[in-house]
Amino acid sequence: MSTALLLSLPVLVLGAALSLLLRANRWSAAVAIFSQAAATALVLVSIAPLLQGGAPIEVTWDWPRPIDSLVFKVDALGAFFLSWSLPLTLLGTIYAVGYLRPYFEKGRSGGPHFALLNLVSASFVLIYSVQNALVFLLGWEIAAVSAWLLVIWDYKSQKIRFAGFNYLVSTHVGLFVLVAAFMLLHSNTDSMNFQRFGEFLSKPGPTRATIFGLLGVSFALKSAFFPFHTWLPRAHAAAPAHVSALMSGVIHKAGLFGFLRFTLLAGRPEEWMGWTVLMFGSVSALMGVLSTSTQRDLKRLLGYSSTENVGIAAIGFGLGYLGWTWGIPSLAACGFAGGLLHVLNHALFKCLLFYAAGAVYRATHTVDLERLGGLAKKLPRTAVLFLVGALAISALPPLNGFISEFVIYSGLLSGKAPSSGGNVVLISTAAALAFVGAVSALSMTRAFGLIFLGNAREPLAHVGEEAPAAMMAPMALHAVAIVALGLSPQWGLGLTRTALSLFPIGVNAATVLEPLAAVVWAGRLLAVGLVVALLAGWRRGVAARRSVTWGCGYTAPSPRMQYTGSSFSEQFGRIFEGLMPIVHREKLPEGPFPQKTGHLSTHHLDAVEQRMFEVLGQGEDFVTQAADRIPEQPRFAFAAGLLALVLIGVLVLGALT
Amino acid sequence: MTARAVNLLALAVMPFLLTGVINRVKSLWAGRRGPPVFQLAFDVLRLLRKSSVYSTSTTLVFRVAPWVWLVTALGSAAIVPLSGSSPLAWFDYDFVWFAYVWGLGRVMLMLAALDTGSSFEGMGAAREATFSTLLEPALFLVTGALCLLSGHHSLHQALVPPLQGGGTAVWLAAVVGLTIVLQVETSRLPVDDPATHLELTMVHEVMVLDHSGPDLAAIQLGSAIKLFVGASVIATLLNPLAGDGSWPSAAVHLALCIGVAVMIGTVESLIARLKLAAVPQYIVLALASGAIALLATAWRVGGAE
Repeated sequence: MSTALLLSLPVLVLGAALSLLLRANRWSAAVAIFSQAAATALVLVSIAPLLQGGAPIEVTWDWPRPIDSLVFKVDALGAFFLSWSLPLTLLGTIYAVGYLRPYFEKGRSGGPHFALLNLVSASFVLIYSVQNALVFLLGWEIAAVSAWLLVIWDYKSQKIRFAGFNYLVSTHVGLFVLVAAFMLLHSNTDSMNFQRFGEFLSKPGPTRATIFGLLGVSFALKSAFFPFHTWLPRAHAAAPAHVSALMSGVIHKAGLFGFLRFTLLAGRPEEWMGWTVLMFGSVSALMGVLSTSTQRDLKRLLGYSSTENVGIAAIGFGLGYLGWTWGIPSLAACGFAGGLLHVLNHALFKCLLFYAAGAVYRATHTVDLERLGGLAKKLPRTAVLFLVGALAISALPPLNGFISEFVIYSGLLSGKAPSSGGNVVLISTAAALAFVGAVSALSMTRAFGLIFLGNAREPLAHVGEEAPAAMMAPMALHAVAIVALGLSPQWGLGLTRTALSLFPIGVNAATVLEPLAAVVWAGRLLAVGLVVALLAGWRRGVAARRSVTWGCGYTAPSPRMQYTGSSFSEQFGRIFEGLMPIVHREKLPEGPFPQKTGHLSTHHLDAVEQRMFEVLGQGEDFVTQAADRIPEQPRFAFAAGLLALVLIGVLVLGALT
Repeated sequence: MTARAVNLLALAVMPFLLTGVINRVKSLWAGRRGPPVFQLAFDVLRLLRKSSVYSTSTTLVFRVAPWVWLVTALGSAAIVPLSGSSPLAWFDYDFVWFAYVWGLGRVMLMLAALDTGSSFEGMGAAREATFSTLLEPALFLVTGALCLLSGHHSLHQALVPPLQGGGTAVWLAAVVGLTIVLQVETSRLPVDDPATHLELTMVHEVMVLDHSGPDLAAIQLGSAIKLFVGASVIATLLNPLAGDGSWPSAAVHLALCIGVAVMIGTVESLIARLKLAAVPQYIVLALASGAIALLATAWRVGGAE
């Protein structure tokens, strides 16, 4: 089994090399797809027994210092991530063939792009299986740099280069923090082996807390948690659709994997860690979803929704942490199972939504909500697929997003926390999650309604044809998986079952499945009802009378008069204005007979990014001013000196004791 | 089995009755005799015989949405104790299902509104979406607090009035919170005026301007069922006999439902609609009562330990 797994690496690298060398785009695409399919088959065959509870796959090679020994070990956690990462990347590559065709027709060479997609797959095999910090960093870096190069496919646009550079800097800040954590671990264990790291980490102490913080920040940067998400909306708006999809749905799940890997290594966490993760996840989910409500660029909107969804998964993991520290297996099971399932679900619907956004872009050359409209009549298949993804991401039954959130809810609302204060916080978190769900529904209604329903806002804009089969087939497969996992979640939970059994507190998926059985049946009944509704609507449309929309007495409506994206979110945005700063530029016409036309524009900024640039720009001034004031104000100088002295004293005392 | 039959019977009659009672109460306050109590049933039958006219800008979404609205209303009715004791079906955390099923119906109706391309309907959809974001957490805070207090995890058990052992504060806050939830979800004053004549001030009604014939019947039926479901939730919370499954309990429950309808009709006759900008503040009141309920639970549970 281990050979099959390791064989996938050379297959992928060879495929990458070949597609780089081949001249014709058709051949490099074929080679990339074929090698990825082969590698996927190899990996799936080797991890299949593992997912059914088999023993972990382990290979050790001796290697010169500083690596010492190269240990590959796929346990159930790695197998869970591998089981969908590679197939989804393969689907993304197939989609790329259709999506990039207009570029190929203009003579652009796609070889490097396909080679990079192969390398992304290879990096998954490394990251999810390796037990050595240096090789882990290697895989991490391959994924990061490949993603960067994939993002800047349209490198001639300055905006896209900036977005790519922004991503590159952010991901490397994350890398530095990760390296710092590994160095700290290495200096304490004199090894690069994760097993030795784990032995050290399982002892409580201040170093453990520091490493928890460093790893948390690094993985949060990778998965784009708030407030480390600033690179994400830019990168997702700039990249080709399939790259956005793979980054958001698959590549950045490596951050969550890293987090869980070290959770397992470190053993039973402390209570404050659980609370930290829970709070961090809630804040991410809230801030991410708030930002989705006001975006006018569909891909930026979907990017922010990634921050929201990793936040939801982190709420699950935080709950799992708490269940583990309190020794309550059912809480831990709900938390970890819900979180893991949500990671998988998010990969499915987020990729689908980005792919649909790509199909819209290919037909209209824009993803600006304010310029689109009525596309459901021109792109009916894309519209249906987008709707499935939109309903799933809003966690509505009977689709898969509802199931994973239901599992998390069932933990949060169980009232099993040992203290009443704990229960209050958990139920408040459930309320926050409900808010997140409702806002997500608002954003997705807005996005789908503005793009696909109503009339075209720019009637003269050309709308191309429906996406080709190479793009449609991956989208359809995602939609089928979304419905299947919604109606039969035991398939999704089956993948997480063995991963759950790694957590050493008697957690098993059965405790999750038990309350889930009823809701699954309720979902199936609802699905029957929805099918009946669909048929009713369908039949009623046949030979029905047609007329214009009732204009409430107004008889000369124009498509420009439809509700816009900004007007849809205006009232909501005003309630949360403090968290979503608006730039308001207006020049209103003057006098009763204005000579000049006026204009008004509003757009929403990213609060964190704005502050970041403000601090970078004004921080220098601030420091200079503060330094200038000290000599003028002896009181400040005295206070600052005293503070510094006390700090030094505390540190010295702390070091001595 | 009898309980289920009584539930089904209530589901068949009460939605019409409650809507009629509200209208009758409003007529009496206005000094009119008012329409028959079962007028809605006649309206629905009349609409079902008609044919529908669809706008040329609409798609399948517009035609499916009314039926999804009806299906989701029925889906939520299945887990609420419609006659005071046990619902048609229940499971742990069914109130999560309840909230999200209502969400699905709402989303489909909002999409249908956007499908017409009318700016009035878009306006209604935006308002509905905004209000629902504040409403859902309130619902979860209240039900979460009731679950914590009762130790049960399904809606009908959690709703049994928690008056023993000093749960009065929680109970009061829950009644206030759920009443506001009912007012917003069923588009009633002071949040939304179902009898208004100006499209600019409507919320729910403006979203269904373009529906006609059987589609409109489905929406009206769905709304009436939601009204009964919401009234049942509050009636169970107020019913001192709730949960014992006896005939008096069912009678008290149905009487309380009618009482809720009378209350709605009276409120609608005596006060004006809130300014739209003030509606979110009113909903925050529900959030606040949810928070109070939850904190009161903590205090009580903490005291008992």
